[in-house]
Amino acid sequence: MDITTRTHDDVTLIGFSGNLDTNTSSDAEAAFTSVLDGGGQKVVVDFTALDYISSAGLRVLLATAKRLNGVGGTLRMFGLNETVEEVFEISGFSTIFSVFPDEAAALAGL
Amino acid sequence: MTGIGTIALTRDVTVREARRKVRQVLLELTGDDLTATRVGSGVSALGRGLLRSGEAPVLQLDLEQRDGGSSVLVLTFRDSRPMEVPEALVAVLEHVTVGRTGAHWEARARVQLHGRSAVDERAVARVRALVQQKSRDELMDELQVKNRELQESFENLQRTTSAKERMESELNIGRDIQMRMLPMEFPAFPHRREFDVHATLHPAREVGGDFYDFFMIDEDRICFGIGDVSGKGVPSALFMAMTKTLIKSRASNDFSPASILTHVNDEMAENNESAMFVTIWLGILDLRSGEVTYTNAGHNPPYVRRSDGTLERLAKRHGPVVGAMEGMVYGEDTVGLVSGDAVLLYTDGVTEAMDPAQALYEERRLVGTLEAATAPAPEALVRATVDDVWRFQADAEQADDITVLALAYHGASEGETLQSFHLTVGADLDEIATVNSAFAEFADMHELPAKVRRSVSVVFDELLNNTISYGFKGRDDGEIAITVDLRPDRLAITLSDNGRPFNPFGTAAPDTGLSVEEREIGGLGVHLVRTMMDEVTYHRRTDRNVVILAKLLADEPADAS
Repeated sequence: MDITTRTHDDVTLIGFSGNLDTNTSSDAEAAFTSVLDGGGQKVVVDFTALDYISSAGLRVLLATAKRLNGVGGTLRMFGLNETVEEVFEISGFSTIFSVFPDEAAALAGL
Repeated sequence: MTGIGTIALTRDVTVREARRKVRQVLLELTGDDLTATRVGSGVSALGRGLLRSGEAPVLQLDLEQRDGGSSVLVLTFRDSRPMEVPEALVAVLEHVTVGRTGAHWEARARVQLHGRSAVDERAVARVRALVQQKSRDELMDELQVKNRELQESFENLQRTTSAKERMESELNIGRDIQMRMLPMEFPAFPHRREFDVHATLHPAREVGGDFYDFFMIDEDRICFGIGDVSGKGVPSALFMAMTKTLIKSRASNDFSPASILTHVNDEMAENNESAMFVTIWLGILDLRSGEVTYTNAGHNPPYVRRSDGTLERLAKRHGPVVGAMEGMVYGEDTVGLVSGDAVLLYTDGVTEAMDPAQALYEERRLVGTLEAATAPAPEALVRATVDDVWRFQADAEQADDITVLALAYHGASEGETLQSFHLTVGADLDEIATVNSAFAEFADMHELPAKVRRSVSVVFDELLNNTISYGFKGRDDGEIAITVDLRPDRLAITLSDNGRPFNPFGTAAPDTGLSVEEREIGGLGVHLVRTMMDEVTYHRRTDRNVVILAKLLADEPADAS
């Protein structure tokens, strides 16, 4: 898995490619922690290049969302393929996360 | 008469000793050297004669005490054969009489003991000791004799031992041929869901010739059978090997047990000078229908154990033993199996096993065992049967080979397997990546839809993570085997591991309607597996956890856009 981080004004965009699963979730967690520790409160996750996500990846997203909620921050996501979307559906995460069809929509109004 | 002693005159050395002893006795009793030497010579002459003509001559010495105080030494030569005392000796020995007493011939010489008025107790004790004492020569001679005897018995032992060993090694070769011919790896068909088969053969020390076999004829048919060859050792093992080979070769293009055995019988009976024969029960199970077509050629009737535990005896016989007579035409019958039914085959080593009181095990005990069996799995049925025979037999010797085969039918498969993916990995989280990248290659090669491939990858990640994290605490021998069968309508996935018993589907589904703050991640992975797969089942098999999954490949409905 590759992780790319870029900023757009006060928004941090984190992109994942490959799989967000048992073996990569700790890298993902480190990336989120580094952003949040740096004071980032607006985080947008780019899943365009993500192949699939398992519950290990969901756990990292959930922890990040909880931490951002605690500081009044925002977590948004876009670019989910049908499998990632299915996993979000099944797990109920699509109702608790803000999911957008693309980057522009995700950044709009932030 | 007072007995002094007896000397066997069986060898030169003992005759010499007899002469010496008689001389010493006379010297002791009379002090008359001349008489002692003369009588000694007479004993020697007669003794040597007896040595040649006699069978087992002995010389007995007695003392006769007369009332008047005079004493007589009585020398009695005795043998089972007639003996003659040369005239010349009579003068030397004095008063020799030859006669027969019962079965023995006797020559008796009486030697007057002059010079001593009476022989007291102490003198008698001394002469007894003289006669009975063994000389160095005698001892040496006895030792040599013993040595020779020992040598002979050792050589005899060697002869009989090597003969015994030869027989033993022939039996071993026979048993080796026999056992090498049998399929012994179980599970025999780990990737076939439609059936399971297990068998065992416990060879008796001497009698060999039982066999069992099972093999796929094609994708949809398994041939299985059992047999018992007459006789023992290498010839019967070779006969068994020939039978088994002929059956398998014929079955490759002949799906009728009756036809197979009719042909095999003709081939076996031709040139069968040893007049050996074999009892065979042969069946072919059609995995699509569950129908078993079978022929019984003089073998013990097998049993069908239905899924509800009831037993059916397949009593029909379709012809005589195989190999005995050319031109026999065998018949066949069918019996239908449904999922959960099993067939149990056995040889007469089971029903004719004997307990220490020589009572037979008998078929009714087998029926009892099969009725009492709680597990219908073939391995359990075979084990229950053999264990009960062992219990019955106790410490009695096993007289015949004991062979049992069980085949269980699990119902028709959902379709034939087109491609298979197999991978076995250690219980290490890093191996999940290995599995998923290997599976991605398999999926690409066979053009699986990306969505299916991703779903399977998520499922592998969830299940392997679970197993590796929780199933092997404190162990480093963890091993997980993964099989994915590509069938026309589905992926059939099996994950099996040797971790502690754990049913991943034993937990309740998480509440997915909760908010971010309320949500916990536990149970979510398994929930994903349940939902993303079309079938999930868990089995604990012997020492393994087995998870069986199916992902249907049904065409997605065309996108509305």
